[in-house]
Amino acid sequence: MEYIKSAFSSIKQNKGRTFLTMLGIFIGISSVITILSIGNGMKVFVNSSLDEISSGGVTINLDPKKTDRYLEPEDLERIKDAVPEMQGITLTISSSGTYNDGKDDRQLGITGGTADISHEETKGMHAGRFFRDDEAEAGTAVCVISQQDALLLFRTDDVVDKTFTVDIGSKSVDLMIVGVAKSSDEDIESAKEAIKKKEEAYYYCSIYVPYALLTGRFGLAGDKITSFKIYTNPGMADETALKVKSVTENMLELRGEGAVQIQSFASIAGAYTSILDVVTLVVALIAAISLVVGGIGVMNIMTVTVTERTREIGIRKSLGARTSYILIQFLTESAIITLIGGMIGMLMGFLFTKIAENFMSFPPAISPMNVLMVVAISIADGLFFGIYPARRAAKMDPIEALRQE
Amino acid sequence: MPALVEVRDICKIYNPGENEVRALDHVSLTIEEGEFVAIIGQSGSGKSTLMNMLGCLDTPTSGIYLLHGMDVSHMSDDEQSDVRNREIGFIFQGFNLIQSLTALENVELPLMYRGVPKRKRRELSVAALEHVGLGKRMTHKPSELSGGQQQRVAIARAIAQAPPILLADEPTGNLDSGSSREIIATIKNLYAEGRTVILITHDPGIAAQAKRIITISDGKIAKDEINENFTL
Repeated sequence: MEYIKSAFSSIKQNKGRTFLTMLGIFIGISSVITILSIGNGMKVFVNSSLDEISSGGVTINLDPKKTDRYLEPEDLERIKDAVPEMQGITLTISSSGTYNDGKDDRQLGITGGTADISHEETKGMHAGRFFRDDEAEAGTAVCVISQQDALLLFRTDDVVDKTFTVDIGSKSVDLMIVGVAKSSDEDIESAKEAIKKKEEAYYYCSIYVPYALLTGRFGLAGDKITSFKIYTNPGMADETALKVKSVTENMLELRGEGAVQIQSFASIAGAYTSILDVVTLVVALIAAISLVVGGIGVMNIMTVTVTERTREIGIRKSLGARTSYILIQFLTESAIITLIGGMIGMLMGFLFTKIAENFMSFPPAISPMNVLMVVAISIADGLFFGIYPARRAAKMDPIEALRQE
Repeated sequence: MPALVEVRDICKIYNPGENEVRALDHVSLTIEEGEFVAIIGQSGSGKSTLMNMLGCLDTPTSGIYLLHGMDVSHMSDDEQSDVRNREIGFIFQGFNLIQSLTALENVELPLMYRGVPKRKRRELSVAALEHVGLGKRMTHKPSELSGGQQQRVAIARAIAQAPPILLADEPTGNLDSGSSREIIATIKNLYAEGRTVILITHDPGIAAQAKRIITISDGKIAKDEINENFTL
């Protein structure tokens, strides 16, 4: 308590230069906070958006460099029977097309699959139904669209039974919408926002269609399956994927070839976040260099203070102050300088983060851990760089110190 | 019972070797509790070195210094700090008050180092300041006080913790004659109350106020006599 009081009274006497010294710490801390918050926000954003689309789906690929074998649609049924905990399995055929809404040619992502591709939409149906397996095999001209994309394409999500014309390559087809899949409130909001700003035409929408529609009418390869997707409980995705892998390997006699590859969202998400972690760390380390520079500033000013107060140190020692008392007195002073600098830096960091929020598509996240860390780092900064001047003070010979004018 | 201060054959040698300076050359002396001693000498006589030695600010090259019969001449820095804090009240020529602290805070300092609880500390300090007649200036900073008043704050600081020895180094050196008389009167008063006072000075007029006068010259004790003319 006495230490803190004495430190504050000494800081008060040298407000100007103490403030200038704090600037260094303050710039360091505010940049570290800003960078960590942005990094954190990015991670939260990536994770949540990956979570949203992952839905326990895992893609299994046959590596074309290692094998020219392929599966047929019936094989998928057999895999499904062999791994009963799996919720669904489907081949996926990706294509694209356009729809003319009367004004613009709208780009469409078209994904063909069996009825199991309905697992891709995890929130269930808003209206209507998904297409059935018999429609998938027959290639019936039906499709399913998400609520968000329905709004973007037709300005309404009340589109069940609506028929519209889609051009794929040089051919076109009239598709009937049999179902609308539910979207998150956020996505619906953003679609409405886009309509309000008349920007809906810039959005890329997607629809699901029976795979046979694409293989049959548009002649896309589909009976030679080299990539398919399975759906399972997200918690068990890795386990199930391994089982599917071994079943597939047995079926195609590809055991040990490394030709069957699992591409799960969990592993992609993991790779993403670890890259983000490294990037954040590196940038934060660069910012932390300013903390070292700031700390040297503190060391500098404390050395000046100690020299100026040589006589005071002599008086204190002659009155019976132990070495440790003098040491703690000056360490407290430097730690308080950096702590105050750190606090101001933290507030500025919050401010910068708020400003950054306006320029980014995701909100930066400030974690309580970061705040705690900043407090600890700034105190440690002051203590570390305060050691040299404080030791100088503590080791002074009282007779010499008292002689000083 | 051992003497309060017993110095046995102390030497302090600076620059040992060819150009050595013998600041103290085999000095021995004993001071009993309740004495009023002046140590007088020219500058360079070794009196400051002796005062640093008696005040546990310095250690001798050889010889021992017993305080209450305890050898304090070969202690670590921190042990010496503790002895200074417990045993010695310093009154310096230049007052040596901390400019950023008030009179009261200055007086409290040695008590704080001793670990006296806050309330007790305040009580003792207020009493000491009232004792030297500064009860109304407790919240003043040293720069707001006259030289005589500053020296009285220093005296209050020296007596607040009731140490066995008051060590006054040229206490009137920076004061005009009026303030000097006041300070000498205060010091005499403290002696009359039973405190042991050691006064270091170069001024025979000041030394003549003490009851015992030790003259030091060339690092040796030249004379040690009782002042026949001493009056309170």
